[in-house]
Amino acid sequence: MKFGKWSGIAALTLATGVMLSGCAGAAQPAAVSDTLNIATLSVPTSLDPINATGSSVPFFQAVYDTLIRRQANGDFTPMLATKWEYNADNTQLTLTLRDDIKFHDGTPFNAEAVKANIDRFRTSTGADSKGLKNVSEVTVVDPTHVTIALTDPDPSLIFRLSDSAGLMANPTAFANADSLKTTPDGTGPYELDKGKTVIGTKWVYDRDDRYWGDKLPYKTLTLSVFDNENAIVNGLKTGQIDTALLQTADQRAAAQQDAQLKIQDTNVDVQSIILFDRAGAMVPALGDARVRQALNYAIDRDTMLKQIRQGLGTTTSQMFGTDTLGYDKSLDNYYTHDPKKAKELLAEAGYPNGFDLTLPRLAVIVDDALAASLKADFAAIGVKLTWQDLDQATALKQVFTDKGFPGFVLSLGQPANDWLMISGQLLPGSFNIFGYTDPVATELVNKIQHEAVADSKADAQALNRHIVEQGWFVPFYRQTYALVTDGTVTVTPQSGMAVPSIYNYAPAK
Amino acid sequence: MISFLIRRLLASIVLLFVISAIAFFLLSAPHTDVGRTLLGQAAEQSLVDAKNAELGLDQPVLIQYLNWLGNALRGDLGTSWFTSENVLSAIGNRIPVTLSLMVGVTVITAIVSFALGIWAGVRRGAADRFVQVIGVVGYALPGFLVTLIVVLVFAVQLRWFPAIGYVDFFTSPAGWLSTITLPILALSVGSIAGVSQQVRGSVIEVMRKDYVRTLRSRGLSPRRIIFRHVLRNASAPALTVLGMQFVGMLGGAVIVEQIFGLPGIGSMTVSYTTRGDIPIIMGLVMFTVIGVVVINLLVDIVVSWLNPKARLA
Repeated sequence: MKFGKWSGIAALTLATGVMLSGCAGAAQPAAVSDTLNIATLSVPTSLDPINATGSSVPFFQAVYDTLIRRQANGDFTPMLATKWEYNADNTQLTLTLRDDIKFHDGTPFNAEAVKANIDRFRTSTGADSKGLKNVSEVTVVDPTHVTIALTDPDPSLIFRLSDSAGLMANPTAFANADSLKTTPDGTGPYELDKGKTVIGTKWVYDRDDRYWGDKLPYKTLTLSVFDNENAIVNGLKTGQIDTALLQTADQRAAAQQDAQLKIQDTNVDVQSIILFDRAGAMVPALGDARVRQALNYAIDRDTMLKQIRQGLGTTTSQMFGTDTLGYDKSLDNYYTHDPKKAKELLAEAGYPNGFDLTLPRLAVIVDDALAASLKADFAAIGVKLTWQDLDQATALKQVFTDKGFPGFVLSLGQPANDWLMISGQLLPGSFNIFGYTDPVATELVNKIQHEAVADSKADAQALNRHIVEQGWFVPFYRQTYALVTDGTVTVTPQSGMAVPSIYNYAPAK
Repeated sequence: MISFLIRRLLASIVLLFVISAIAFFLLSAPHTDVGRTLLGQAAEQSLVDAKNAELGLDQPVLIQYLNWLGNALRGDLGTSWFTSENVLSAIGNRIPVTLSLMVGVTVITAIVSFALGIWAGVRRGAADRFVQVIGVVGYALPGFLVTLIVVLVFAVQLRWFPAIGYVDFFTSPAGWLSTITLPILALSVGSIAGVSQQVRGSVIEVMRKDYVRTLRSRGLSPRRIIFRHVLRNASAPALTVLGMQFVGMLGGAVIVEQIFGLPGIGSMTVSYTTRGDIPIIMGLVMFTVIGVVVINLLVDIVVSWLNPKARLA
């Protein structure tokens, strides 16, 4: 029996494969093209605007315009609305609309379309629908004017109209709403290429040459979903992906090894312990501000950042983001690592021997290093921290629905808008699930809600300082993520968002 | 044979019902909250409740299952809760990717394993030791490590093949081959290690049989003895292992699909199971069960054709 013949065939097969791979355009050095390939870990639940939220918004921006455009630096500029104006007590917003825009089937974009969209959005079960809970009525004044009446002022309304709540779909599509989930119908700069799109994996958009506004630089926009950053980095290195956001320090390091890849820092998420039980209903010790302060003094933020995230981040004691009016740089270092002071505070509060604290642990957020670090830091002041491991499928129910724990370690986005932060993280509800507040916070929140945004800086900073001093949270650090491009694309980070808007990309010169 | 097939078919239908019920009830464990997972931790409870009601999750689990079963029997497996994809088209879009992998690996494994196994079993000596070393090394190397090495060397460093992605065969056969070659290579290492040892062992065993000695004494050529007689008898156990590996390959496909960013059934199973997307998971369970039944049936038929002693009643 001879194997020479077989080895020849094998070699031929391998050679053919290699040649075919070359024919198929296997990875070549990156070159500027008219297609933008964005990789992401986020999947939109559908392409119906009522389901738009957070990092999935770029999927929608391609096919829908918003009423107001939010620039990369956070400034608001006209889009479908050319002008917006509040009444004296900020309870009614009047929008002036463009009069020259039509949906693809010829349906005019007008005040009736805006009313239909906003009414549908606020009464839907979409994740962001609660953002319009203060809207009491939308009234059509004439085809180019619409008023939005509010039960109470909402300082985040303009932001929301530049985000998910402002995405305008063709009202004629609402009759068959299921089709909107996979067949978007808006006035945006692109159209979904349904032939090339595989929902759940890859969304391909073709530029609409009839678009009313400035054309975006790429003829084709592709958003591909991956479930791990390792594949994304390999795709960036081989030029198959043009840009992506990398959250993990390991993959950032892998990207840094390739000189062709360009990396920009973006700091949005802050990691912290959210102390829900500030009244001490579940763990009495947490009802005393001195105990919460002690927990803040107990942790060694610098070492944690260095060991756990290889120094990629900024230690902080505050939850307000750097783009908010309430941000106060001096509060980043309000709590230093001071176990002695922490013990004194515990003793003053009547807990000289510490207390037991059980927190839920979701391994994707609290890895072994972070779990061990917090446990050791708290043990050093006598607080016995016990982690209760939760799996991803059940964690949110046990923590947020069942309210079964006094706190939770989480990475939270730091929005650019103060009221988004306040309503999401401080007011009873969302991340204040035990509904705790105090008179000082209530008064400041009330003032901020009713004054003009531009006038609210002092009060926002006072509120920020108050919750830091009262230890509502135990923040660790703002995490530095890497916004990576393959060198053929330039991207401008979006204020208050981890993921840039689709308008922020351009070919590199 | 026909009565065997009918018995298998009936058993398979019962199996499908039983597994669908078990899977549905396990997935509907009371400690999950799909509405909360869909809307995020910040969602107000009233909104979470409304979302759960919209998905029919406020109904008793038995009613939910019967609704699912009724629709499934009509060919409607529903829509993904997390991506709004039709379940059948979602799975249909991903099957070609995983099937390309599985068929490719099986073909490569069969060719290389039989070649190595026969070579080792017939030649013995150094050739045998060489094949055994290959088997040990192939077994010892973790699948994810092999995959990482393959992608780093052939895609990232040499750039011979794409590092990620999949091109459909009908869009571009050459593109398909270029995107599928490295994943197949990565998955084949472990499979070849297992099957080649099985072939080797079977060949050695058959070569010792009396009838082989008789054939030799009658002056038949070694080639004819091996390909007409030894291989036919030695193939049955190897084919059984190959069939089992084909079915078990879904596990390996998970890692390979994730590292190569392939939109296949393996990576889909992981990501949708983590989210608790019951319509998609149920579709995947049904697809997998049907796949296992069909593969086992095919293996039985082929083995009985090869070896009359194992022929089915």
